[in-house]
Amino acid sequence: MKLSYQERGGVVILEPKGKILGGPDATLLKDQLQTLIDSGKVRVVIDLAEVDYMNSTGLGILISTLTTLRKANGELKLANVTEKIQSLLTITKLVTVFDDYESVDEAVATFAK
Amino acid sequence: MGLNPGREHKSYPSVPETVAEVDSFLDERLRAAGFPEDMMADVAVSVSEVVNNAVIHGNGRNPEKHVVLELDIQPDRIRISVEDEGNGFDPDALPDPVASDNLMREVGRGLFIVRAYMDEVHFQKMGGRGLRITLVKILPDGDSG
Repeated sequence: MKLSYQERGGVVILEPKGKILGGPDATLLKDQLQTLIDSGKVRVVIDLAEVDYMNSTGLGILISTLTTLRKANGELKLANVTEKIQSLLTITKLVTVFDDYESVDEAVATFAK
Repeated sequence: MGLNPGREHKSYPSVPETVAEVDSFLDERLRAAGFPEDMMADVAVSVSEVVNNAVIHGNGRNPEKHVVLELDIQPDRIRISVEDEGNGFDPDALPDPVASDNLMREVGRGLFIVRAYMDEVHFQKMGGRGLRITLVKILPDGDSG
């Protein structure tokens, strides 16, 4: 998995690319998110457009991030959730937990409200 | 037109990199056998769950303990077994991950996902020397020729 990010209007947009199945790739994502949180960046969008699929380890990272950001008065939003990941969020009932948007622009805009 | 049948097994150390190694191996073998693209992700995710469980819980992340993968491709289905050297667990005693009290837990969803994505899931304790989990995915009618 490759990971890049950008900042836009005070919001960090993380862009993982590939599969999130555990192992060192999951650690990379988790560490990057923690670095952002430690530096006070608590408004985060994860763009999932380039994520082929993820498993429960990936979900665990999302939940952990959401919990940590909310405790710091921040928020995590998901953008470009693919059909396969949408299916995973649905069967695990996590669709009720995460805010997801059809584009990064849409997700970023909600932080301004 | 069915899958090109074949059978092989591989042994992996219980290290974090194993889940990606297994994923690459399966991806290559299943594509070569003609496995439907739209079913690949379900299998990949399910196997990754079982492999991670074997590495982390079954074998305690001990690199000297091994995870043995067996891939059995038949014309109308695939059967994938993952065996560890651990003490096993009771798959029916796990907390319900979709219960409201458990929804925000960071762990505990793996087997639930496997059961949702695979057609059959079998557990076999190997006489106190490990646990073998077998996953079966059956091709839809018309794909098996």
